Amino acid sequence: MRLNTSIGVIFLALLPLSSAAMGPAIEQILRQQIMAGGFVRPEQVYQNPDQGLAKTGALLFKSTRLSLNGNISCQTCHLDQFNSADGLPNAAAVGGTGEGPPRMMSGAPLLPRRTLTLWGRGGREFEAFFWDGRVSYQRGKLVSQFGSRPPSQDLLVTADHLPVVEIREMLDDGDAFIAAHKQEAISSAQPVYRAIAHNLIVGEPAISYQIAVYFRKNVSQLTYTDFARALAAFIRSKFRLKETRLAQFVYDKKPLTDQELRGALVFYGKGNCIACHSGAYFSDFNYHVVAFPELGFGKNGFGIDYGRYNVTFNPNDLYKFRTPPLFNVARNRFYGHSGSVDSLQGAIVAHFDPLSLVDLQKMTSLQRNDFYKRLTLSQDTANRVGFLTQEDVQNVAAFLKTLSF
Amino acid sequence: MLKRFAGYTLTALNILALLIIFALGFKVFALPAIAERIYGDRYKELVFRCDDVMRAHLIAKNRVIVSPNAQNIQALHAAEVGLIDCQEYDILRKRLLSLGLTNNDLARLGLQAIQERDADVRAFVKVHEIKY
Repeated sequence: MRLNTSIGVIFLALLPLSSAAMGPAIEQILRQQIMAGGFVRPEQVYQNPDQGLAKTGALLFKSTRLSLNGNISCQTCHLDQFNSADGLPNAAAVGGTGEGPPRMMSGAPLLPRRTLTLWGRGGREFEAFFWDGRVSYQRGKLVSQFGSRPPSQDLLVTADHLPVVEIREMLDDGDAFIAAHKQEAISSAQPVYRAIAHNLIVGEPAISYQIAVYFRKNVSQLTYTDFARALAAFIRSKFRLKETRLAQFVYDKKPLTDQELRGALVFYGKGNCIACHSGAYFSDFNYHVVAFPELGFGKNGFGIDYGRYNVTFNPNDLYKFRTPPLFNVARNRFYGHSGSVDSLQGAIVAHFDPLSLVDLQKMTSLQRNDFYKRLTLSQDTANRVGFLTQEDVQNVAAFLKTLSF
Repeated sequence: MLKRFAGYTLTALNILALLIIFALGFKVFALPAIAERIYGDRYKELVFRCDDVMRAHLIAKNRVIVSPNAQNIQALHAAEVGLIDCQEYDILRKRLLSLGLTNNDLARLGLQAIQERDADVRAFVKVHEIKY
């Protein structure tokens, strides 16, 4: 009895000690690390050169007239209830009906990657768009499929030019006009952009008029780029970064829970997540291999997705994907470029123990071979990220929830 | 006599016409379907094999462009030899065309091969539908 009492006293005495371990000094160190990692207040990255077009852009975002021959708008795949994405592992775009899972089950043709959320897009220092960074800033220059003549020097406006001419995304290839222009050349895309602009002028006269007034043009002179600027204005405004609990912790000295603090310590400490998830958006906008399992047929077919290599054709970029920004990451339904992981914890595990996420016996020989290649090429990630216990993973997941708003 | 001869001739011509119709029907409808049933899976397998070596060849070529060392040049030569896998695909493709399959049929089979894992995604969503 006396021994038990003694143990109890010691335990109780240690409790405050362990809380004290997460006390003001640790919090102060964390605040310094978080700011050193590039974290800033949300308003510091907000920019919107065409703010006056945001309301018009909201209407355009919902317009199915953006799809030349399909019944799909931007909003079809970027829905509020799915954290500004579609709630699916692989996007189900043109040709389907409904939203989210019913859309996929309606037989819509699938795209090989997961729909990205839109948080923070177009903000200052947001330097790479899409999973493979096909629209990005490199050494201060805008690099995209448009070569030396991008439609705009604004990354988001240029990025807004891609989904509308992507076959299966917003274009159905089942008509003669699209079949005739189905070439990988910018020149063949121009008539398609003209046709989309015409489609919008005819089908959305009110929106077109507002945009024409803004640019002081005749409606008939509007180009697709004018519409893209309206979309960009809306995306910047609607999906701007907002105040998070982490910002309140860093700048207003508001508390985080013990678990969140422990998660932050792993994120900025032994997990070394900050090596890549740094900067104002928790992304270095660089490209890395993380051996996520592959789901679906993959960008390269047969369940293979070469990632960044498909953009650069540099073999050093094989299987690399852009570091995803982390705001609202806890609200995603699926994780990884092909949505093969269904929990935030699983996504964290993919960085240091990807083998635990696959059943090797159930994989085909080709799948195993492809996974093996990704594993060997992910050594950079494997060497950066430390080993985490299950508790660490839960703590990091709790910390990442402080980035939600 | 002449009437009977004309009757026989007409019957023979009818039979001949019927045979031609059957033969044409067989060639246009049955033969491609049978050929697809027999060779379809093999064709899909060869689509993959040819695609695989072609991708490997392009990667090897790009590796030489990025770093033109002896090892990468040797790997490129090996990848060139690997392209022989596409010959079998070419031969089967021509055979299927001669058996009445159209280019569209072959494109459909190729697409089926490339997107075979499409069904996995729908199955995955179905499993997780409870989360929505």
